[in-house]
Amino acid sequence: MIRRIGFVGLLFWALAPLLTAPGAQAQRKVSAAELTTLKALGSRSAPITIEVFSDFQCPACRNTYESTLRPLIDNYVVTGKVYLVHRDFPLPIHSYSKVAARWANAGAQLGKFAKVEQTLYAKQETWGASGNFEAALGGVLTPAELKRARQLVESGQLDAAIDSDIALGNSKRVSQTPSLFVTHRGETTSLPPGGVTYPLLKQYLDYLLKQ
Amino acid sequence: MDFTLPSSARSSASSQIGSVLLLAGRVVLGGVFLYAAYTKLRHPWMLFAMSVDSYQMLPEWGVTLVARVLPWLELALGALLILGIGLRYVATGASALLAGFFLLMLRSYSQGLGIDCGCFGFGEKLGVRTLLRDGALVAFSLVIMVGAFLKRRARA
Repeated sequence: MIRRIGFVGLLFWALAPLLTAPGAQAQRKVSAAELTTLKALGSRSAPITIEVFSDFQCPACRNTYESTLRPLIDNYVVTGKVYLVHRDFPLPIHSYSKVAARWANAGAQLGKFAKVEQTLYAKQETWGASGNFEAALGGVLTPAELKRARQLVESGQLDAAIDSDIALGNSKRVSQTPSLFVTHRGETTSLPPGGVTYPLLKQYLDYLLKQ
Repeated sequence: MDFTLPSSARSSASSQIGSVLLLAGRVVLGGVFLYAAYTKLRHPWMLFAMSVDSYQMLPEWGVTLVARVLPWLELALGALLILGIGLRYVATGASALLAGFFLLMLRSYSQGLGIDCGCFGFGEKLGVRTLLRDGALVAFSLVIMVGAFLKRRARA
């Protein structure tokens, strides 16, 4: 009997990681706070945190992502200096912004936020014209993941996380995208809205890291 | 009884009023410049550089130059205005600088750029309010400049 209990216990221990694997995570309802973590890149213990309030359909956000955030990820996030948090701030003037945010959150729940984010920006003009997200994301999500993501998008479960980001943005007086907030040693600085260039951001981050 | 002052006394009184108004005006304008410099110098220069860059007018080296030099120029203009040193030239420089800012702001606003003004620190969006304020400052500075030149002419 003791052996049997021990065997079942060992089996449970061995299978436990499956319950927290991305696939399993996609099956259960994920809280807004958990989704925030899934939409963040880097180490939470990094000395600098950057929050980016962004709209996937905004051209300035795409430009900032491609020319500023990509090199930032490569040089500061990967090296553990910056914790980069994505915040959804879909603007009402864009017809597919909120749907795009839902797809991004679905991607986060599937553990593929970084790839989905990159693809949404890269193919902004395509889905921005047609509203066909499945075609745009077909390259980064498997058919099974696409099906699950569609279910999540249509379920409305993800709206709480998006609304939570919007409420946070409003509390920080975000009025346009992209808006970046840099937190270092407990002090948060709002960068000029509309995006910043990588060379200037790099100099600012290096200055903060030397403090 | 005749209370009419002689013309020389009237001229002297109006000259004194003019001098006092000029003094008050240059102290106020100098204070505005000192405050503008303070709001920029209390932060790392890169933050002001980001505001300058958002106007999309200058190359990278130009943005760096303006961000590093402009706050000190504002500080110097503010101090010289308050001290009244070289007032005609300083007031002319201040007016030119403010007029330049105003034109840049007007151009960016008409282009629909939703950017920070960058006038007094950060977080102040460029809009009608900031344009009216900067326009009023240009007018105020021009009055001081004209006053400084008139005072000089009266002395001569």
